Amino acid sequence: MTAAPHHEAGAIVLEQRFGWRWAAGFAAALGGVLVLVVACAGLFVWGVGVWGTNVPYVWAFDIINYVWWIGIANAASLLAAALVLRGARWRTGINRFAEAAALFAVLCAGLFPILHLGRPWLFHWVFPYPATFEVWPQFRSPLVWDFFAILTHIVVTALFWYVGLIPDLAALRDRARTRRGQVVFGALALGWRGSARHWLNHQKAYRILAALVVPLVVFMQSTVSFEFAVTVVPDWHRARFAPYFVVSGLLSGLAMVLVVALLVRTLLGLHALVTRRHIDIIAKLLLANAVVMAWSYGFEGFVAWQAGEHAWQSALRRATGPFAPLTWGAMLGTVGAAQALWFARVRRSTAALIVIGVLVNAGVWLDRLVIVVGGLYRDHLPSSWGTYWPTWWEVGLLAGTIGLFCALMLLFVRFVPAISMFETHAEHGGPGVEP
Amino acid sequence: MTGRPAAYGLIAQFGSADRLVMAARALHRAGYRRIDGFSPVPVEDLDPYLSGEIRRRWLLPLAALAGALALGGGGYLLQWWTSAVDYPLNVGGRPLHSWPSFLPATVILGILGAAVAAVLAMFALNRLPEPYHPLFNDPHFHRASADAFFLCVESADPLYDPRRTRRALEELHPDRVAEVPW
Repeated sequence: MTAAPHHEAGAIVLEQRFGWRWAAGFAAALGGVLVLVVACAGLFVWGVGVWGTNVPYVWAFDIINYVWWIGIANAASLLAAALVLRGARWRTGINRFAEAAALFAVLCAGLFPILHLGRPWLFHWVFPYPATFEVWPQFRSPLVWDFFAILTHIVVTALFWYVGLIPDLAALRDRARTRRGQVVFGALALGWRGSARHWLNHQKAYRILAALVVPLVVFMQSTVSFEFAVTVVPDWHRARFAPYFVVSGLLSGLAMVLVVALLVRTLLGLHALVTRRHIDIIAKLLLANAVVMAWSYGFEGFVAWQAGEHAWQSALRRATGPFAPLTWGAMLGTVGAAQALWFARVRRSTAALIVIGVLVNAGVWLDRLVIVVGGLYRDHLPSSWGTYWPTWWEVGLLAGTIGLFCALMLLFVRFVPAISMFETHAEHGGPGVEP
Repeated sequence: MTGRPAAYGLIAQFGSADRLVMAARALHRAGYRRIDGFSPVPVEDLDPYLSGEIRRRWLLPLAALAGALALGGGGYLLQWWTSAVDYPLNVGGRPLHSWPSFLPATVILGILGAAVAAVLAMFALNRLPEPYHPLFNDPHFHRASADAFFLCVESADPLYDPRRTRRALEELHPDRVAEVPW
């Protein structure tokens, strides 16, 4: 069996031709995971006092990172689901790892709400179970809504990913030459036989999942924004927060998928499957999104100008006060960096696209920082004005989750076909199939 | 019942999706109903020849809908009961049954219910997980996930006869016909 592109995706997993570069990357990522473990251990032993958070800054890195990761997860899920629903013929190159990126990002995101609780070992109290102390969760609180949102996101993303993976796991089972490979892939494939009945129900379930992911990510991202909008903090109490979070989340997710696509393409040598066209389309989507983002920054300023003295002052404060460099950095990163994508030459350059992808993600992270910390900078009461500076423990959490994400992605490309084998077979035409 | 037939059925191997569909059509026309195709990619043209599936085609979406209603509705009832009945908390005289704040969790739980039900229904309809299946006994069946297309006539089919069915399959010019032992 030679050279058909879909075989290449499976051969990567079965033949395991991973060199020192994978090992070096994985070692670095594991270093990040170690940092995460230390940062969590310090938090568990000494409590949230090790963080720089203090009144009025009750939220800082914990929620910034949470909102940032969840935005990436939502947007990557949305991209994958939209591609399935549109039946885009070119989708097969990016679907699988967009879903994987979403799953790993939501796992990173899900850590933070638990870690920021102060007593994280009691996080199960947000789950409505008949406890002996006879108290129920407060269902009017966005924190409880968010618990259900994260839980649902993890379960649905994992199901979406796994259901799409079953036929490929069966193909790996059939092609594995080692006993261990046959047993492991065989167990995971659940006895898939590629029967016409199997396919019929499988495709139906897969499309239903995709159709559910679309409203899920919109609701989920809105629920995240409610955590801010439902409070009375002047900079947070905004009706426009929900769509704003969706738009800015999309930006970071598209940038992340773009970076992952480029790395998968270059490092795994999958140029035939992740083509220039794929990269070009994601880059254009990113650009379109950045334009919407520019509009939404403008809208934000306009609304603040119209909404009265208090809102206008807090907007001015953000643009000129101590958070000004961060505010302008966020705009430069999100809207500014993406403008280079107007040029076809930039969209063809792997290095330039990776730089832009990282800049956009950094910009969205800064945007979250300006919302979370900058929003608390001027509360109603002058007595609660103060400044915030992160500690190394908080920086460690951010670096640690990035390490965790990279480690999971590296394991994913090594042990699971990063590109859907059966879909590329159907699309590119393999033996017996007209493209 | 006259005891179990000697074999699970007969399979024929083809080189392309088109030939598999033509063969399925021919057998279906001849009256065979317990037939199934096996392919590395979805072959939607086979669907009309899968008897039973047409009748059951709404089961999976219905299961998803039922899951959404059950978990979404149950979630709403739980929120109402815990907040308004079992543990009413009077905060400045605000209404106990404050339905707008119950909606986010309701919608999201509805989505969770639909997704889980859709996947469970897919497993149930496909009878997965099923680690052992007689078809895996065929030495070439592993190619069903790579480059071969199979058509299986089960011995449970009323028209099934080891010799006549084999001849019917051979007339379709497959690459190979084989009996599948249990």
